[in-house]
Amino acid sequence: MTSTISNSAAAATTDKNSRAGIEAAGGLWSDVWRRFRRNRVALAGFYVVCFLAVIALFADFIANDKPYYLEYRGKVYFPIFRSYLVGMGLGHWPAELVNVNFKKLEAAKAIFPPNPYRPSNINLLEPLESPSGKHWFGTDKLGRDVASGMIHGSRISLSIGFVAVGIAVIIGVMLGAIAGYFGSWVDLMVSRLFEIMLSIPTFFLLITVAALLPPSIFLTMAIIGMTSWVGMARFTRNEFLRIRNLDYVTSAIALGVTDRKVMYKHILPNALAPVIVSVVLGIAGAILVESSLSFLGLGVPAELVTWGSILHEASTTTFAWWLAVFPGFAIFITVLAYYLVGEGLREVLDPRLRGLR
Amino acid sequence: MSSYLVQRLLLLIPTFIGVTLIGFSVMHLAPGDPAELRAAGGLGGAREGAISRNKQGSVDEALSQWRKQYGLDRPLPIQYAVWLHNLATLNFGDSFKDNQPVWQKISERIPVTVKLNVLSILLVYVVAIPLGIYSATHPNSFGDKATTLIAFVLFAVPLIWAATMAIVFICGGDFLYLFPPAGLESLEYSSAWPLWRKFTDQAWHLFLPVVMLSYDGFAGLSRYMRASMLEVMGQDFVQMARAKGLPARVVIFKHVLRNSLIPQVTILASILPGLIGGSVIIETIFSIPGLGQLGYESVLARDYPTVMALFTVSALLTLLGILISDLLLALVDPRIAFGRRQQ
Amino acid sequence: MLALLLLLGCGDKTEVKVSGAAPAESPKDLGKAVTGDWLVIHSLSDPEQLNPLTSSDATASEILAFIFQSLLTRDPRSLELKPLIAESRPVVSEDRRVYTFKLRRDVRFQDGQPLTGEDVLFSIKTIKCPLVNAPFLQVYFNSVIDARLIDEYTIQFTTNEPYFLNESVLGENVVLLPRHYYDPENLLKNVAVRDLTGDPAKLPEKVRTFADNFNKNYSRKPLGSGPYKFEAWKTGREVDLIRDPNYWGNGKADIDQVYVDRLLYRIINNLDAALVTLKSGGLDTMDLTPVQATRGSNSERFTREFQKFEYFAPSYSYIGWNNLSPIFRDKRVRQAMTYLTDRKQMVKSLLFGLGEVVNGPIFFFRPEYDKNLNEYAYNPDKAMSLLREAGWQDTDGDGVLDKVIDGRKTPLRFEFKIPSGSSTGKSVILVLQEELKRHGIIATVRDLDWTIFLDDVKNHKFDAVVMAWAMQASEPDEYQVWHSSQAANKGSNHISYKNPRVDKILEDYRREFDAKKRVDLYREFQEILNNEQPYTFLFARKSVSAVQRRFRGVEVYPAGLRPQEWWVPRAAQKYVGETALR
Repeated sequence: MTSTISNSAAAATTDKNSRAGIEAAGGLWSDVWRRFRRNRVALAGFYVVCFLAVIALFADFIANDKPYYLEYRGKVYFPIFRSYLVGMGLGHWPAELVNVNFKKLEAAKAIFPPNPYRPSNINLLEPLESPSGKHWFGTDKLGRDVASGMIHGSRISLSIGFVAVGIAVIIGVMLGAIAGYFGSWVDLMVSRLFEIMLSIPTFFLLITVAALLPPSIFLTMAIIGMTSWVGMARFTRNEFLRIRNLDYVTSAIALGVTDRKVMYKHILPNALAPVIVSVVLGIAGAILVESSLSFLGLGVPAELVTWGSILHEASTTTFAWWLAVFPGFAIFITVLAYYLVGEGLREVLDPRLRGLR
Repeated sequence: MSSYLVQRLLLLIPTFIGVTLIGFSVMHLAPGDPAELRAAGGLGGAREGAISRNKQGSVDEALSQWRKQYGLDRPLPIQYAVWLHNLATLNFGDSFKDNQPVWQKISERIPVTVKLNVLSILLVYVVAIPLGIYSATHPNSFGDKATTLIAFVLFAVPLIWAATMAIVFICGGDFLYLFPPAGLESLEYSSAWPLWRKFTDQAWHLFLPVVMLSYDGFAGLSRYMRASMLEVMGQDFVQMARAKGLPARVVIFKHVLRNSLIPQVTILASILPGLIGGSVIIETIFSIPGLGQLGYESVLARDYPTVMALFTVSALLTLLGILISDLLLALVDPRIAFGRRQQ
Repeated sequence: MLALLLLLGCGDKTEVKVSGAAPAESPKDLGKAVTGDWLVIHSLSDPEQLNPLTSSDATASEILAFIFQSLLTRDPRSLELKPLIAESRPVVSEDRRVYTFKLRRDVRFQDGQPLTGEDVLFSIKTIKCPLVNAPFLQVYFNSVIDARLIDEYTIQFTTNEPYFLNESVLGENVVLLPRHYYDPENLLKNVAVRDLTGDPAKLPEKVRTFADNFNKNYSRKPLGSGPYKFEAWKTGREVDLIRDPNYWGNGKADIDQVYVDRLLYRIINNLDAALVTLKSGGLDTMDLTPVQATRGSNSERFTREFQKFEYFAPSYSYIGWNNLSPIFRDKRVRQAMTYLTDRKQMVKSLLFGLGEVVNGPIFFFRPEYDKNLNEYAYNPDKAMSLLREAGWQDTDGDGVLDKVIDGRKTPLRFEFKIPSGSSTGKSVILVLQEELKRHGIIATVRDLDWTIFLDDVKNHKFDAVVMAWAMQASEPDEYQVWHSSQAANKGSNHISYKNPRVDKILEDYRREFDAKKRVDLYREFQEILNNEQPYTFLFARKSVSAVQRRFRGVEVYPAGLRPQEWWVPRAAQKYVGETALR
């Protein structure tokens, strides 16, 4: 039932409202931003989204078992940066630093990131500790720091969200555009495809594919993307259907502009409004789906720590409330933030909801 | 109108074939097969990677014989054709797991899943529609914003988390005991009980699962209701009614509501396919023997006939839903049915 | 309606406790066993089916064990074979190939019909019938080539080679089925056991009809001669067994008596929900996970209501190294891996102390178990020196050990495969992975769906796997796993272990009828394995069961608990009177 009702409500709303005829030209966006800002709740959501993006981007600098700066045996190193270089194959570790535990070095001076753990640091001597000064959000059954797992996990959740929705957008917009533009039998066939995709029990299909194929994040992204494009396809199709009959388009066609150019340059920019809203909501949805999958133990490989996988462990270790509260809360806040932004955008892009009358 | 109906029904066929074909392909193209699973003693061993020594030995011949028995050694397109042919006679075959007729396994569970989902849909409507009405009649007020925010918050709470927390904290155990943590009926449930007692017992068991299944729907539906009402309210005939001096209340309930309610029903169309997949998590967490749980287990056990049957049922339900909603829409707005293919 | 739901939700609980007696005090105060009450047992899932020959899952086996019986059984303490349906242990011929059993004459099935040699013959025919879906059971009977009735109560089996476990296979693994129920038309009457061992295509049509019927129509209504009768199976909810008041063994001094009136298996898929149900009285006994056992069941209230029993299930987990892989074919590398696995700490942290490190494949309660094996205690320095000896060094400064194998520089990188459901295995690998990384060894992890995993394992497509073997508490026979012939044809020798001396020991062992000599043979066998480390043996887990205190007669045996022995004093019985009737 997750988001089925909401998504279909979203679909229905924007379906109808597209008939209102929103002409979104380039200069409208600053106007959009101005009006968006007035919605304080949506703005709060936007700030949260930005905050999460920053954390995801700089995860390695916030939570890492290597220091920023190290003075050791008279030489100066910057281990975090070097690990990036080694990872890219552009450098190597000097002999004295190979596979070493930086925290145990008798170094002259070392500056560690605020959370000095990586999510994979196992410590069998500190399993299932409740939150403390040492481990802000406690540890899991292998002694891994939960806060670090969540910081790095944000990368995974957000990238799954973005890539999955990206895939959905590409497929959906393409198919919707084709159906809406060419109409007649093309539309008929593509609409059948929509129906097929809708009739498939999606979550069931997701579980099936995730359970049967070896888990990997890319697979998860791909299957979420490939099962959620129908909504966007339908909006795009409706928009194309509508806009195609407008004067400026028919004249462009009469003038001999190629189909492809008409679709890309003339119609598409104006049809995107409902898609944008859908993208933002889609990211929220994808994060929820991913967490459900890894909760069931599917979709994510064993060594990867994601918000959902921590929750999965929480489900069998119920006294360890910190394993459930923090990731659950993180998922909740992220989804809420994106949802508020999406709703805010929808209000702003659609005059009917402004309740002006 | 009837030609439209016939047209739509005919179009259902390719869709149906498409869905079942996808289900078939996914199951068969994925690696692993049911024979090997039986060889290893079913799924029980999967949990700790343990194989019972009783069940070992070189059983290759037995496996191939077993595969032959189930028609798994024939080429895939033939298997699909055979399945389709059986379907025409409503023969879903027998489950690989326990040799029970698939239809029996499914029909045992249909009432459960239906009960769960119907109650859930009802709950969503009962809560969301009034919320939506309130929001529409007091747009942008504090109440509007507050209720909307709460609805969104509920949408964002992850289901798995809420359900697990519920089980730990209010279903007995070390904290409160307000609801049962599992199953559909108490241990002592007996058909000899009076109706009211049976009813209360079931309601008590279903309460949490239904609430869990519904809470994320309040947001979407109430927003949609709000939008749809605002749109109707902005229309000329409503302005006219207000100008004529009709009290706001009458206007809202007689005119606006009636016109904006009908499209809400079309949402039902998209809910029907969710009946199978959507409740997997709830059914697993609360140990409710419904279709979702059956589906999940069947996938893991490579029980092809059951999985295919579930796909079929789901496809049929969706197509039915879409058909109904299209028909309703066509009824309401005559432009749609006729203007459809003119673009 | 919503209001109604809310109201009802907070209403009274429907647990009826007719006799609200507190669980009685001292466990010594036993008194005489009486019948009555129910035992509500937790089951994680439905049995797949209840046909004793075609079912293959553990839940089914547990349930069917109460319903069916065989010629012999084992004494739960000494694990010695003793007669049950047979009057006494069989007469064995000189060449150890012919076994003659004489049956008791007072045995009846649960529908009142007497059990005679005809039923025993029918049972063996059904097992041997190749068209019956029991390939895994049939493998055990490959050496049984004939069975004949000498008279109405005497049956004779012939095997094609001497094997010390034949008596056990014939005595325990032949589940006694009532012919009149499972083959009402007596289709197998004129088919001899010898006919069934030939080509399946040549079998008469009747046999096929019988097999189809047997495979399809008996999955849900078993009928046997045991003390508990099958009553009902509500899919996804419960399986119900009731005590047979007319059990043929009632009142007989040489037959174990049962007391609990009803064994109710309650199916709850979710372990948390199950524990919660246990605590609120909806279950009487369940197996606790290590977490639940150590952290979730220590409240005062819990200890007042329940008693916890710990016992070892005969099984062990291990890391299987593919002995054919270029990295792992050198035994020094395998030994190094074992030295790098801190198994003691794993038991403490991953199993919460509920387990024991093992160093060999024999269940350590058995006399065959060798207590003097090398422990391979965690020792990274020893491990590194072994690796160096084997030629592994970090020659290029990238932090990873490497070696030139077959002319190419190969890094010490490999992949672990595990089935997706296995959480302990996963934890073991993750811990090991970190440890290995610190010493320049890169291990990646791949989790696979169970059937795919099995497929890869059987086809030797892996570097290393983490798995477990579940065995029995009775005499071991390691042939299946360690004999080199079992590496082909998807046999159980997944790691392709090959050692001619071990092969010989395993073969001789099977033909050795003197228990003491068998012990000596297996001592040598374990020492060889200990030296060669084809597996890194991990641990044997301890199971913990919680049992409601009103049950008496609860004892821990080498193979676990035996609920059929439990009983409840009349004053403490919970399910009595009206509720007991259902």
